[in-house]
Amino acid sequence: MTSSLTTIWTLAQKEMRDALRNRWFLLYTAAFAALALAFSWLALAGAGIAGFAGFGRTAASLINLVLLIVPLMALTIGAQSIAAELERGTLSYLLAQPIGRLEVFLGKYLGLALSLLAALALGFGISGLVMVLSGSGAADPGAYVALVVLAFLLGLAMLSVGFLVSALTRKASVAVGIGLFLWLAFVFLGDLGMMGTAVAMKLPIASLFAMSLSNPSQVFKMAAILDINATLDILGPAGMYAVHQYGQGLLAILLGTLALWAIVPGVLAYLRFANRGDL
Amino acid sequence: MLSVLIAATIALFPLAADQPLDLKAALAAAQPGDTIVVPAGRYAGPLVIDTPVTLVGQDYPVIDAGGSGSVITVNAPDVTIRGFEIRGSGASLDREDAGVTGLAPRLTVEDNRLEDVLFGVYLKDAPGSVVRGNTVAGKPLEMGVRGDGLRLWYSAGSLVENNHVSDSRDMIVWYSPDSIIRGNTVERSRYGLHFMVNENVLIEENVLRDNSVGIYLMYGDGYTVRRNLLFDNRGQSGYGLGLKDVDNAVVDGNYFVANRVGVYNDHSPLSPNATTRTENNLFAYNDIALWMLPLVEDNVTAGNVFQENGEQIALAGEGVLRNNLWSEAGRGNYWSDYAGYDADNNGVGDVPYQAQSLFEDLLAKHPELRLFQLSPATDAIDLAARAFPLFQPRPKMTDEHPLMAPPVLPAVPGLTPAPLAANLAASLAMLAAAALILVFAVRRPRRTTG
Repeated sequence: MTSSLTTIWTLAQKEMRDALRNRWFLLYTAAFAALALAFSWLALAGAGIAGFAGFGRTAASLINLVLLIVPLMALTIGAQSIAAELERGTLSYLLAQPIGRLEVFLGKYLGLALSLLAALALGFGISGLVMVLSGSGAADPGAYVALVVLAFLLGLAMLSVGFLVSALTRKASVAVGIGLFLWLAFVFLGDLGMMGTAVAMKLPIASLFAMSLSNPSQVFKMAAILDINATLDILGPAGMYAVHQYGQGLLAILLGTLALWAIVPGVLAYLRFANRGDL
Repeated sequence: MLSVLIAATIALFPLAADQPLDLKAALAAAQPGDTIVVPAGRYAGPLVIDTPVTLVGQDYPVIDAGGSGSVITVNAPDVTIRGFEIRGSGASLDREDAGVTGLAPRLTVEDNRLEDVLFGVYLKDAPGSVVRGNTVAGKPLEMGVRGDGLRLWYSAGSLVENNHVSDSRDMIVWYSPDSIIRGNTVERSRYGLHFMVNENVLIEENVLRDNSVGIYLMYGDGYTVRRNLLFDNRGQSGYGLGLKDVDNAVVDGNYFVANRVGVYNDHSPLSPNATTRTENNLFAYNDIALWMLPLVEDNVTAGNVFQENGEQIALAGEGVLRNNLWSEAGRGNYWSDYAGYDADNNGVGDVPYQAQSLFEDLLAKHPELRLFQLSPATDAIDLAARAFPLFQPRPKMTDEHPLMAPPVLPAVPGLTPAPLAANLAASLAMLAAAALILVFAVRRPRRTTG
C-alpha cells in the first residue's frame, strides 16, 4: 500500500515537472496571472474614485476570467495526458514496469491537478496581493479563498473530461482538437444555445435553471456568485428562483453537480484506460 | 384611582433593592412640567403617561413590559423620555405593540435602548416630535411578522436623528410632511426608510446597509435625499433608492455602492412640469446603477460618477428613454466605460457617451437571460454586435457631454474598510501554496531503500 502510494506520488511529481516544461500550460498560467493582475489593477484605479475599491466587481471579473481560461487549461492538459505519452511510446515503456494502471492513472491525475492548483493559487494570490496593496480586498477573505477552491473544482471537472477524451483517442493532436472544441462548447456554444432555446421556446425559469446545471461552467459561476454575494439576484429571475426554491440546499446542489462532473468522466476515463488492449 | 391601585399592588410585591422608586405612583402624582429622575434598576411596564413630564433615567434603568402590550404609552403632549432601556413589548401586529407609543404632539424620545420590542418608537398623530440617539433592535422574528423600528404616522415636522435600527422590518415616515431624517443607521431590515405621501422631507447622512431596500419614496413632492450611504441593499427588490410617483425629488451627493439596483425610477416625476434631479452621486459596483421605466421623462442626471456597475443604465422593459437631460450647462456624467477622447482638453469628452449593448437589450426583453450574466458567451454577443453593425442596438440614452475624469465627491458616513491583514494573509497563503507545489515538483523523487 505504502509503496503504491509512493509510486503514485513519484508519477505525480514527474507529471508536475512535465507541466513545468509544457509551453501551453505555462502560457495559460502566465495569461491567467497577468489578467488577474490587470483586473485588480483596475480596482486600484477605482479606489481613488470611491475612496475604496469594490471587491465585488473585481471578483466578478475574476469569475469571468476563470470561466474563460480554467476550462481551456484543464481540457488541454487533460487531453494531452494519456494520448501524448501513447504517441511518444513512453506509456508502453512505463506500463512494462511493475506498476498497476490505476497507479499510473492516479499519478497522472494527481500531478496535473496539483499543477492546476498551483497556477490558480499563483493568479489569485497575485491578484489578492495587489488588492491589499491598493488598500482594498474582500470584506470576507474566506469568500476569496472559497472562490479559489471553486475554481479548482471547475478545473478538476474539466480535467476529468480532458482525461476521458485522452483515453478515447490515439493521437495527441486529435485529443487536443477535441478538447478545444469541448472548451468552445462549454464556454460559448452551450450558453448561446441555452439562451436561444430559452427565448425561442419561452422556457419557464425553473426549466432554464435546471438546464443550466448541465454546463459545469454555469454551475461554477452560480456557486462563485453565491459564495461572494450570498444571493443570486445578479442572475435575475432564474437566480432568485433558485435561491428561493432551494435555500441553503442550493450550494450543496451546485457543489454536488460539480463533483459529479469531476468524478463521472474521471471514472469512465480510468475504465477505458484500464481496459485498453492497444497499450 | 386605578393607577393608585396598581401602585399599591406593586408595593405589595416590591423588588426592593432593584426598584428604588415606585415609578407608576410617581407618574400619577406628577404635575405638568415636572422632571422625574429614575435611578438604575428594573421597573415593570407597561407605563402610561398622561401628564406632560420629563422622565430621565440614570444609568439606563430597565422598563420591561414582560412580553405583552406597549412598554410606554404617551397620551400627554410635551413629554420627554431620556436614558432608559425599554424592553419586552408584546408581539401583536394588530395591537401594534411598541417600545414607545406616542399619541400626542411634541414627544421627545432620546438616548434610549429599545430591545426585544415589536415596534420601536411609534409616533401616531404626534407632530413636532424628536426621536434622537436611540438604538432599536427588533424581535428575532420572520421578516413579515416583525414590527417597524421607527414609525411616523401623521406626525408632521418631526426630527429623527442619529438612531441605530437593526433587524427590524421598515422605518416608516407616512403622512408626515416637513420632517427631517438625519444621521440614522438602518441595517438588516426590509425597507431601510419608507416614505409615503410627504412634502418637503429632508433625508440626509443616513447609512442604509444590508436591507432589502435602502430608501423608498412613494408619492409626494419635494423630497431631498443627500449624502446618504446606500450599501449592499439586495434581494428580490434590492434597490438603494426607489422613486415611485414622486415630484421634484433632489438626489444629491449620495453613495450607491454594491446594491442590486442603485436607483430605481418608477415613474418619477409624476406631474407635468415637475422634475427629478440626480446630481453628484457615486454609483459604484452595483449590478445596475440606474434602472428606469422606459416612459420616465423630465429627469436631470448630471455630475454623477458611474463607476464599474454591471449595467450603467437599464430599462425595465423595451424602449428608449426620451425627454431626459443627461447633462446640464455642458457638463454630463463620468462613465467608467466611456471610450471617447478630449482633443480640446476642456475635461468634457468630444464624442457622446451612449449606453448601448445588444445583450443588455436582450435582458430588457427577456429578463430570464440574466442567468447568463458574467458568462463569456454574453461578451461574445456584444462583440458580434460591434463587429456586424447590422445587429447594433439603438442607444438607450445619450450623454452629450461625458466627463473625462470623475468629479471629486464629498465623503459620506459609514464606509468600513476591508480587513487588510486577513486579506494579506489569504493572498500570501495562496502564493505559498503555489510555491510549495513547485518545490514538490522540482525535488527529486525519494529513492526507496531495501
